[in-house]
Amino acid sequence: MYESTNLDLFPYPFHNIKEGSNYRYSNDLRKLEKDHTNCVVITPEYEKQIKRKRELLKEQPAVRFQSYPHTMAMQWEVVEMLIEMAVDRYPEHFQVEKNGNHWTFHNYILNETESFIFGDASSIELEPLDLIGRHFTTDFVLMVHRDDNLYLEVAQESYAALFSPHWNKGMTFDEIHAPVPFVSRTGVPLAERVRNFLIRNVLPGEPWTRINWNLMANRWDVNYETFDTWGPTRFLVTPENAGDLVRLRVEEQFFYRMPRSNAILFVLNTQFLAMKDLVLRPEWLNQTYSILSDIPKPMAEYKGFSPFIEPTVEYLKNLVEKIEFQTN
Amino acid sequence: MVYSNPVLFDKSVTIVEKFTVRQDCRKILIISAEPKEADAIQQLIDEINGQTEYELIEFNDETQLSHVNEILDQQKMGTQLYISAKWEDAVSIFAAAIEAGFSEGEIQTLISGKKKRYVYCLKCYHLQEAAAEETDIVCDHCQISLEIGPFFSRERKGYIGYPYNPAFATTN
Repeated sequence: MYESTNLDLFPYPFHNIKEGSNYRYSNDLRKLEKDHTNCVVITPEYEKQIKRKRELLKEQPAVRFQSYPHTMAMQWEVVEMLIEMAVDRYPEHFQVEKNGNHWTFHNYILNETESFIFGDASSIELEPLDLIGRHFTTDFVLMVHRDDNLYLEVAQESYAALFSPHWNKGMTFDEIHAPVPFVSRTGVPLAERVRNFLIRNVLPGEPWTRINWNLMANRWDVNYETFDTWGPTRFLVTPENAGDLVRLRVEEQFFYRMPRSNAILFVLNTQFLAMKDLVLRPEWLNQTYSILSDIPKPMAEYKGFSPFIEPTVEYLKNLVEKIEFQTN
Repeated sequence: MVYSNPVLFDKSVTIVEKFTVRQDCRKILIISAEPKEADAIQQLIDEINGQTEYELIEFNDETQLSHVNEILDQQKMGTQLYISAKWEDAVSIFAAAIEAGFSEGEIQTLISGKKKRYVYCLKCYHLQEAAAEETDIVCDHCQISLEIGPFFSRERKGYIGYPYNPAFATTN
């Protein structure tokens, strides 16, 4: 388990919610500004996260990585994009040497080198996205645009929340989001509305972002495969231990239209903040307490935290009161 | 076989209780692999009433059924397909029809006997049959308890089976 220690890099999910307002589902996609389209971020937890990500990929390859054989060209396109982003943003950590199609990628944080013939899957042991994805802490999902829908054709996911690359392989955007029980004010299912929005607006060179959030009870990944293990742990939370056990799980999502394949790459940056650490930013503590006290039951059910929302809110209430008492 | 192709499952939109004639097609192709449903086929033919060209192909054994791809490949655009068969045969004929380019809107399937329903264990990735009314099942491969969810995967050919701990069953 890792937790965010540099709060300046933590994608706090409620920035755009006005003080005193509540949280409801909406199409909250935001276009990335021209100078902020790079999704590669190195946090203080980089090495810890990479280590765990690789362990999971090694232990459960079929659970964590899925693809179709026809996706090689699109996977190489992602390799190229991620290497360019890494080198551009962190030249002190990443370098690439290109000698024709013979590429050598250096990761100086891990002291590792990857040499391969670009576009030739036989020059590497893993599939292209599986290989490059192991150098970045984010998860990757490649959704291919066909028949006015997006189909999941490649996924490397180690921090899945009610998701599974194995189960969701080949599904449409709508099928993946079928459990979303919400409709927009105009009665259109939310998943359909977001899908159409992504198809229309995510264009080459114009990536978008949104932040998804959840609460986790002492658990990093809550995929379908391990529901029998983590399902019961949700009932162990009390107002006394919620500060340590419950974490705000934030998934910062980036959407890139790949110019050659026309697929949309979903990049998912998952970060955790323990409830007790909210105190480091009192404004976050107050707002999170206010929002969580007002979560509708169906939303808590859908997000899977209904078994421990009450003790968590109770913990936050006590913490807010304690801080107020100390400052008065 | 393209992965995004539809597959036949118990809630497929093409499954009907009774065939209905679509007059806007250029030809009706009836594939009958279940002699017991002769009445339903005759009723369909009566309803067509000579208004549309139709062809009835009857399969009486598996050897004949192996020619289904060839027959479906020869069909022209605008053909409506009516399948009358037991579950396993219907699955094969349906898959062959999709492969030949039929869309679900061009197919009606009348199942003789029971429809089958499958559950995919998300603990060990084993696919097994489940009765229509079952909401929970034990995986016969890894023995974990599974709650059968409402979501179906074309790729995995079954409904989602969430592994759960029976000790906490009331809360799942």
